[in-house]
Amino acid sequence: MATRWRRRVGLGLLGSLGIIGAVCAQSSTTDTGRPATGDALVVGSIGDASRLLPILATDSASGEIVGLLFNGLLKYDEHLHVAADLAQSWDVSPDGLTITFHLRPNVRWHDGQPVTADDVRFTYDKLIDPNVKTPFSSSYELVDGVDVLDPLTIRVRYKEPFAPALESWMMGIIPKHALEHEDLNTTKLLRHPIGTGPYTLAKWKTGELIALAANPNYFEHRPYLDRYLYRIIPDEATLFLELLTGGVDLSGLTPLQYARQANTPFVEREYQRFRYPSFGFTYIGYNLQDPRFSDARVREAIDRAVDKQAILNGILFGLGAVATGPYPKESWAYDPSVQPLPPDRDEARRLLAEAGWTDHDGDGWLDKDGQPFRFTLITNQGNDVRKQVAELVQQQLKGVGIQVDIKIIEWSTFVHEFIDKRRFEAVLLAWSLARDPDLYDLFHSSKTKEGEYNFCGYANPEVDRLLVEGRRTFDQTKRQDIYRQVHRILAHDRPYTFLYVADALPIIHRRIRNVVSSPIGIGYNMIDWYVPPGEQRYRSRPTLQQ
Amino acid sequence: MTRYLLNRVLGLIPILLWITVLSFGIIHLAPGKPTDTGAGFNPKVSLEARQRLEKLYGLDQPLHRQYARWLGQLARLDFGRSFLDDRPVIEKIGERLPVTLTINVLSLALVLLIAIPLGALAALRPHSLFDRATTVGVFIGYSMPSFWLALMCMAVFGVQLHWLPISGLHALDADSMGWLARQLDAAKHLILPVFVAAFVSLAGLSRFARSSMLEVLRQDYIRTARAKGLSESRVVFHHGLRNALLPIITILGLSIPDLIGGSVISETIFSIPGMGRLFYEAVMARDYPVIMALVTIGAVLTLLGNLLADLAYAWADPRIRVGQAAS
Repeated sequence: MATRWRRRVGLGLLGSLGIIGAVCAQSSTTDTGRPATGDALVVGSIGDASRLLPILATDSASGEIVGLLFNGLLKYDEHLHVAADLAQSWDVSPDGLTITFHLRPNVRWHDGQPVTADDVRFTYDKLIDPNVKTPFSSSYELVDGVDVLDPLTIRVRYKEPFAPALESWMMGIIPKHALEHEDLNTTKLLRHPIGTGPYTLAKWKTGELIALAANPNYFEHRPYLDRYLYRIIPDEATLFLELLTGGVDLSGLTPLQYARQANTPFVEREYQRFRYPSFGFTYIGYNLQDPRFSDARVREAIDRAVDKQAILNGILFGLGAVATGPYPKESWAYDPSVQPLPPDRDEARRLLAEAGWTDHDGDGWLDKDGQPFRFTLITNQGNDVRKQVAELVQQQLKGVGIQVDIKIIEWSTFVHEFIDKRRFEAVLLAWSLARDPDLYDLFHSSKTKEGEYNFCGYANPEVDRLLVEGRRTFDQTKRQDIYRQVHRILAHDRPYTFLYVADALPIIHRRIRNVVSSPIGIGYNMIDWYVPPGEQRYRSRPTLQQ
Repeated sequence: MTRYLLNRVLGLIPILLWITVLSFGIIHLAPGKPTDTGAGFNPKVSLEARQRLEKLYGLDQPLHRQYARWLGQLARLDFGRSFLDDRPVIEKIGERLPVTLTINVLSLALVLLIAIPLGALAALRPHSLFDRATTVGVFIGYSMPSFWLALMCMAVFGVQLHWLPISGLHALDADSMGWLARQLDAAKHLILPVFVAAFVSLAGLSRFARSSMLEVLRQDYIRTARAKGLSESRVVFHHGLRNALLPIITILGLSIPDLIGGSVISETIFSIPGMGRLFYEAVMARDYPVIMALVTIGAVLTLLGNLLADLAYAWADPRIRVGQAAS
């Protein structure tokens, strides 16, 4: 029943960068009163963390906690622009081959030691160390060398220009002085981390609670909320009941909970709901080696036969947006000129007929050369929304005479036996993506080996060229042109039928003030959240702040 | 007797080995790898990075060599380290065991306290209204899905009435409480999980108690006791119940391995970090060392439980030990 944990595809790096949420259109109440220290924020999470070291934090819970304990050199600001964090500034050389970071002076680790360029160098060394169990090494493959110029300046040399590199330096920096004589895979610092972030670890009861305490010396300023309590509640229904009794202050909701269950007077009075698009999209991918799907007319016909808005309204209660390509509307890479195709069954039938698919024998299903148009749509187990989407697609394609069988498969089997080995006709899946629009791994024609992610077998030389160029270009305006072009070509080629971008649906207690929603979500200014003295609920205990 | 014992214990070793070979084979036959959890299906994690991880975990070795390595560790009583967080497996089990054990012992005690009197009383007047009512009652409990009962209890006692906490083991401010308040808080958190676990397992034991009591009450010595003019309560409790309890004790002995196994469903719903969730999470993450450790410990306990039961029979019935020794 709880198979939904770990089902969030590709969240690894995002999590480890400590980014919560995504883009938003609405904003929220801001308090005019003066911020006060005190109180605690109780967060409900389905999963527990496993390793609290940024380069080893692979699950989303570890990523969230690590994001509060550590800092990268850079971060994304609320408008999704690359911004300073541990580095106060950075320069990219004109040829794009070196990036120089100037560290913020006087930043200290939680144990009081100063943060220096040696720590950055050490972090890099461990990321590429073959004996360290980090999965994140691939983002640093193009690094030629890292030089410490002085205690506060570090230069990274690249073999070729690599624009997503900036995002890769949002990886949390780890303390050399505490770790240089340790085996990183087993060090006790995995459970007793020393970071630079706004919070320090106070207590960790496995499977139950992670308690963080405000870092009084945080370099921006001390966070107002004294404690951040991360409760592990593995069951969604229980989590929701805890919300109904005020046992949790902040949690994500499912579309059903958001639309139908969270509008009781109590919840309305006590909580504030947020809604903004998540970075990622749900799609139907085709095996392009299948002669039926290698025909662009067939893919366009399916695109026209599937009513995405009906899917959104019927299954996600309208809490999302129709996708026209791989980017959400709020991304600078999104091309607004790409319009969603209006659903049109007649046009779909016409296209299918043009491709040779008509109902020759009058049984209601299309056929060609005596073969009916029938395919299996596979998706993974443990995701009810996806199952319902598959059923609706099945219904809609029945309307144009295509017979769809649905097969729901356990995740590991799904990945290894079906996706990796190309044993599928069509697949229903979702990608969660980083904020950087680089899509090399998903759509470049070289990424089609077993275990790589262009499993549909998409190949377009123009897209290949653009994806390479996008990686080599640092200039944001030029990159925008490149990725908008990629968006247009993908919308035209349709290796996927892009379905929708779902909304993130967090809910937070009203006593927490200054929660502001922005393009990156609501978590980015957490150190400025506070509770007015009269409304504080949890007393702080000085003993927690060891 | 010593020779019989020795034979039996030596006989357990190949069985145990066979169990570990089978379970090792089965979990490795299941598709998926431990590296899927953190590093699978993430475009930021390249194929090479994943292969490097597999090598670090020793997953690139042939299966028999992985098994030999695991067995070698086990021989030194080392269960290895979890793939999920690289902590020693034994430490992870040690962390989870007390909670599960507490809940299981408490709910078993509750079951005993309720089921035996219930069964015995029902047996006194078979097919009476009381007997029928308890039969219906315990079977409702038996057939009710525990997750549903748990959620209903949480909605009623937690959300509506605010009498009991909904989930978890401690209040968030438990650390600032005094000792007594902390124990009280823990007790309050345990009420629902223990009650739900007990309610759904009342049926088995109470039916056993009933039939065993019925059996005993038909015996000649009960008639003799009554004929002697003993009071009814003395007949029922001293002569009847005490004899009726014997088979129940055997059943209890066999349920010893169950004490360390937690219920995944109940632990998940009540957010209790116990053995059931540990096992479930390990299986989902293909955390081989944890799975193997739990399977092995479970197998050892089951085999020991069986051995104890057999020994008890052998002690009671000479035919068994003589027959074994001769063959």
